[in-house]
Amino acid sequence: MPLTRRQLLAAAGAASAPLALSACGGFSTSGRDSGASASSGTVTFTTWGTDAELAGLRAAISSFEQANSGVKVTLNSVPYEQMFTTIDAQLQAGNPPDVFRVPYYTFGSYAGRGQLLDLSSHLDSGFSDRFTPQAWAAVQNGGKPYGVPHHTDTSVILYNKALMESAGVTDVPTRIEDAWTWQEFEDVAKRLRQKLPDDKWPFAYNWQGNGVTRWLSWLFEADGRFLTEDLTAAAIDSDAGRAAVEFTQGFFRQNLVPQNSSVKSSTYAADLWYSGTTAMNFGGAFLVPDATTTAGFEWGVTFPPKNVRSAGDFGGNALVATKAAKDPALVAKFLDHVTQKQPMADFCAGASLLPTRADLVQEGIEFTVRPELSPVFVAQAGAVLPRDSGQVASPSMSAIITVLKDQLEEAFVGDQDAATTVRNLADGIGAAVAR
Amino acid sequence: MSTVPAATAATAPPGVRAPDPPRRGRRGPRRGAVKEALAAYGFLAPGLVLLGTFVFVPLAGAAALSLQRTNGFGDGVWVGLDNYARLFTDPVFWRATLNTVLFTLVVTPGSMALGLGAAVLLNSVLPARGLFRSVLILPMAVSGVATALVGVLVFDQNSGFANAVLRALGLPGVDWQSGGTAAFVTVVLVTLWWRTGFNMLIYLAGLQGIGRETLEAATLDGAGPWQRFRYVVVPMLGPSSFFLVVMNVIYSFQVFDIVFVLTGGGPRNATTVLVTYAYDNGFVTRDQGYAATIGVFLLVVSLAFTWLRWRTSRTKDLVG
Repeated sequence: MPLTRRQLLAAAGAASAPLALSACGGFSTSGRDSGASASSGTVTFTTWGTDAELAGLRAAISSFEQANSGVKVTLNSVPYEQMFTTIDAQLQAGNPPDVFRVPYYTFGSYAGRGQLLDLSSHLDSGFSDRFTPQAWAAVQNGGKPYGVPHHTDTSVILYNKALMESAGVTDVPTRIEDAWTWQEFEDVAKRLRQKLPDDKWPFAYNWQGNGVTRWLSWLFEADGRFLTEDLTAAAIDSDAGRAAVEFTQGFFRQNLVPQNSSVKSSTYAADLWYSGTTAMNFGGAFLVPDATTTAGFEWGVTFPPKNVRSAGDFGGNALVATKAAKDPALVAKFLDHVTQKQPMADFCAGASLLPTRADLVQEGIEFTVRPELSPVFVAQAGAVLPRDSGQVASPSMSAIITVLKDQLEEAFVGDQDAATTVRNLADGIGAAVAR
Repeated sequence: MSTVPAATAATAPPGVRAPDPPRRGRRGPRRGAVKEALAAYGFLAPGLVLLGTFVFVPLAGAAALSLQRTNGFGDGVWVGLDNYARLFTDPVFWRATLNTVLFTLVVTPGSMALGLGAAVLLNSVLPARGLFRSVLILPMAVSGVATALVGVLVFDQNSGFANAVLRALGLPGVDWQSGGTAAFVTVVLVTLWWRTGFNMLIYLAGLQGIGRETLEAATLDGAGPWQRFRYVVVPMLGPSSFFLVVMNVIYSFQVFDIVFVLTGGGPRNATTVLVTYAYDNGFVTRDQGYAATIGVFLLVVSLAFTWLRWRTSRTKDLVG
């Protein structure tokens, strides 16, 4: 029977209806899948991660489930790009997961706005003793813990041996006590500048994108602060602040770094180094597996420079429980489990990340890939002080990041002098914490 | 029982029976019209539901959000028009507005001119024109993010293809990423590459609707090739041009992915546009009320432009 036009349209309408409905259904289902647990024996956990990180987390979940019969942990793995738009939407809709993973510099945005579970009453007394002081400080808000420090990472210098040797730099520090001073580092960079061709540069720094918080390492090395101790006002308008801006501004003015490696650049420092454009790259331990397979040259690592003291960025991620968690005691038990010695050691070794447990830092760990490099990263992570990492846990960090990006960009690729930059940073940070 | 309507009965001469109205004919169209309307609404319903759920409701939500100060969690604080007042004193907002307008002014005529040129060429008896058409339309099938990543490879100022070509020709390299003007140019060039195919496709459809006899008549009247193009072809492409101007302006005002990936809005906000600025405010700074205000501003400007273009276009309804 031939179809009439009306019948055809009706059929098309009917056929499209399930598609339209499934589109609506799909939208809401994704929230339900990763939402709060339906029973007290279930923990929902949303994270992003590399294959190695997810393998480590799955192993920890498996051992937790074995140790707690009848308990189920549902892991929801999402791409990093979607992680926080998903989490924010779920929090706003009132159906967040019980546990999620969060960078330390974003932690304060959730903890300071009443979205996370205060773990004080759910953790054993003395629980904090297992962590290094700087790690524990990074998950505090108003003096209370709102998460557990799962792992950390910090930047060291990864260097291209051939390019360094071409400039006669063969002696690099092998102990943190012997790290170059700012002046020595600048001398090395200048020597490289003289010897390298015009299309290669001495180094690039990893402050692009949200990595702008890594600039704070220079401030900390000059023994400066960007927030007061109670985190309620700006403290960057200081000699240390001006020294840090002036020194880092010099990288661009003396052509020691590629001009397209500023804080707002879309070109990442690691990519410049992989392509042989730079001799040295500031990067974290998470780069080690990638560098091993991507860099087509022999490379090593050394400590970043020091000034008044050694310092570093407290990178890495915490695990936090949401305020809406159905079974806070079970969630706390899970957080306790994943930060026990063996699960953390396995996770960090497999994913090339650094532990936050004091005993593992003391004993050291061995990365699965390039294990001989582990001591450099572990020692450098020890240079991060609690008073540094505690500032990054500020609830205003997301607004502070924007201020840092805007002002450092003006100083690096604009013509804004160091004193003006520091004044503007202080004004912007002051406004951000007052908001 | 009379079936004559009261009005008809009243006007009929005495003794003359008013003719029976065609019963089926009178009731038929009314029932048919109702059924037709119901069918139309039935077919429209899925689209209207989707449009309402995913466009109009969020738009109303954004308008309400623009009147609040909120960090995205919990209830916001109603601040009236404070966010709108803030726009006037925010230099980055004005820089983003200027960049967006400049981008629109360059990309809209540029992509339309290139699209028209390509369409005219590919509407002729060019050998392998099917292949060329496909090549030009292909960028439409590539996502904006992937297009921008290709742009990064081409315009990387240290190791990109563009500077390699310039240096091979003995010319100095260009600071495509660290120079403000050059970075803006890269965004324009990549967008033109991406959008020309779409413009060509619409113009090609328009060209194929122009009758051969019209052009022959113009030729017989003594019009040369340029005169035929300028005074016959271009006016007859009016509806295509109207559609493309509106679409290009809206797309240009909404540009995000290419800028976000290619330049990140830098250097020094030289390529920051309204949508990337709204994104930064909403998802980096988490000042979602202010981000919504920028979005509402963008909506109002787009609507105003579309209305203005609609009122001033003389050729929008011509068949082309």
